Amino acid sequence: MSARAIHILVLAAYMTVLVAIGVAATRRTRTADEFHLGGRGIGAWVTALSYVAAYFSSVVIIGGGGFAYRYGMATLWIGAANVLIGGTLIWIVLGRRVRLFTERLSTMTVPGFLAERFRAPEARVLGSIVIGLFLIIYNVSILKGMGNAFEVLLGMPYIVGVLVSGVVILLYVSLGGYLAVVWTGFFQAWVMGAGLILLTVAALRAVGGLSAANLALAQASPGLVETPGAWGWAGLVSYALITSFGVWGMPQMVARFYSIKSVNALRIGTVLATVGCSMAVLPYLDGAIARVLVPGLSNPDQAIPALTRAVLSPWGSAIFLAGVMAAGMSTFSAVLIITSSAIVRDLVQDGLGRRLDERTSIRASRFASVVVGLVSVAIAIKPPALVLVLMGFSWAVIASTCLWPIVFGIYWKRATRWGVLASMGGGLAASLVWMVIGSPFGLHGFVAGIVVSLVSLVVVSLLTPRLPDDHVARVWGERRG
Amino acid sequence: MGPFNTPWETFAAWIVVGASVLISLVWAVFFVRDRGPQ
Repeated sequence: MSARAIHILVLAAYMTVLVAIGVAATRRTRTADEFHLGGRGIGAWVTALSYVAAYFSSVVIIGGGGFAYRYGMATLWIGAANVLIGGTLIWIVLGRRVRLFTERLSTMTVPGFLAERFRAPEARVLGSIVIGLFLIIYNVSILKGMGNAFEVLLGMPYIVGVLVSGVVILLYVSLGGYLAVVWTGFFQAWVMGAGLILLTVAALRAVGGLSAANLALAQASPGLVETPGAWGWAGLVSYALITSFGVWGMPQMVARFYSIKSVNALRIGTVLATVGCSMAVLPYLDGAIARVLVPGLSNPDQAIPALTRAVLSPWGSAIFLAGVMAAGMSTFSAVLIITSSAIVRDLVQDGLGRRLDERTSIRASRFASVVVGLVSVAIAIKPPALVLVLMGFSWAVIASTCLWPIVFGIYWKRATRWGVLASMGGGLAASLVWMVIGSPFGLHGFVAGIVVSLVSLVVVSLLTPRLPDDHVARVWGERRG
Repeated sequence: MGPFNTPWETFAAWIVVGASVLISLVWAVFFVRDRGPQ
């Protein structure tokens, strides 16, 4: 059997499993609550591993490997920050309170939580517009990553990768909603892990082990094993921050805490998510090893595909390709369901006050997810900018807008309506302006965004009237009188 | 120079990954169960 036939066979089998999960999930999706959040009944294993799958897209695998090819082992710090801040600490700091607070407030989305927590309907509208708009941009970058992966790993046209993955995702998300997203995410996390471990073991064997890889890199240039290396502190730290701390403000990640079946499920979920997120270091390790095994590439984004061709058998590379597709598709589907929720629940139903019955609400949600998906696919066919720039851009804007309002919303009783609105507006404006003026000092717009957002929230909250005591007590679950 | 011919400031990234798993395990052990309806 030819290598190409093996690749297509493995991919077809993988995508069939995804559609089968989507069809199975349809039977358990009868209400709008189930479509958007799986009825808040998702177990620890599925929540944790679908979290991992939603976190890392194919852009991280291909682009992260490219960074490591260019800058060396210092990029391992990005993976390490992802594990500690984006895998462990977020579960510990946000998990319990987000689960409890959102249940008390009966909210299903991040904009909905901000509106109810701060009695600020404007936060719902602003949040849902920012999430709807910039998550579509993020969707485009994910699709573009998958199109590129198809092109370089399978030798098939870019547009085929975009269309095949886009259509399969649209099918299972519109059918099975959130349940399909988390169950396919659970399956896809295993596929991603298998692909990355396979490539890493083969790459380490080919290079003669980690010591030999480091020695060869140091001989090529000492900066390739040192920290911060050629990238410098500003670039390395701000990129590590946006991809790890930024997750704290991303609705498709925080939604996992809304939907977990109980607070107690967070106990095992935190360990599983941390172990799963540990795979984040592998693309960086593989990219650095690629610098030794396949030197002289003009485009660093070719590092992982070139390494795959060099060290894996056709069956191995087929599994790795499925892993790359799994990374992209799981992230895309997680983002798609959140964007659909933002539009249908927050903008149409709660923002514009259009009351929809259960059946109409589910139909509208399915329709919205199809429309958002098709728009993303259409833009991705002729995409506007570089993958990583686009991804960092959209992440930075959403995280700068939502991160501190979420954190302060569950930890600081004194935070006020005007404080949170100033924080959202300030973070949004600062991150956009910072990027437009060319990211001065080599700092990412996310850094400027969260600093302005933090200062605005604290200062304006202290200068404006407190929220009523009985409202705060209800949010905190305290008995009064 | 740290293990595997890695400078310590780079090898520390691996230590952070290991420490994260350890932190999550310690947190799980000392996790205070919610006594509300589950």
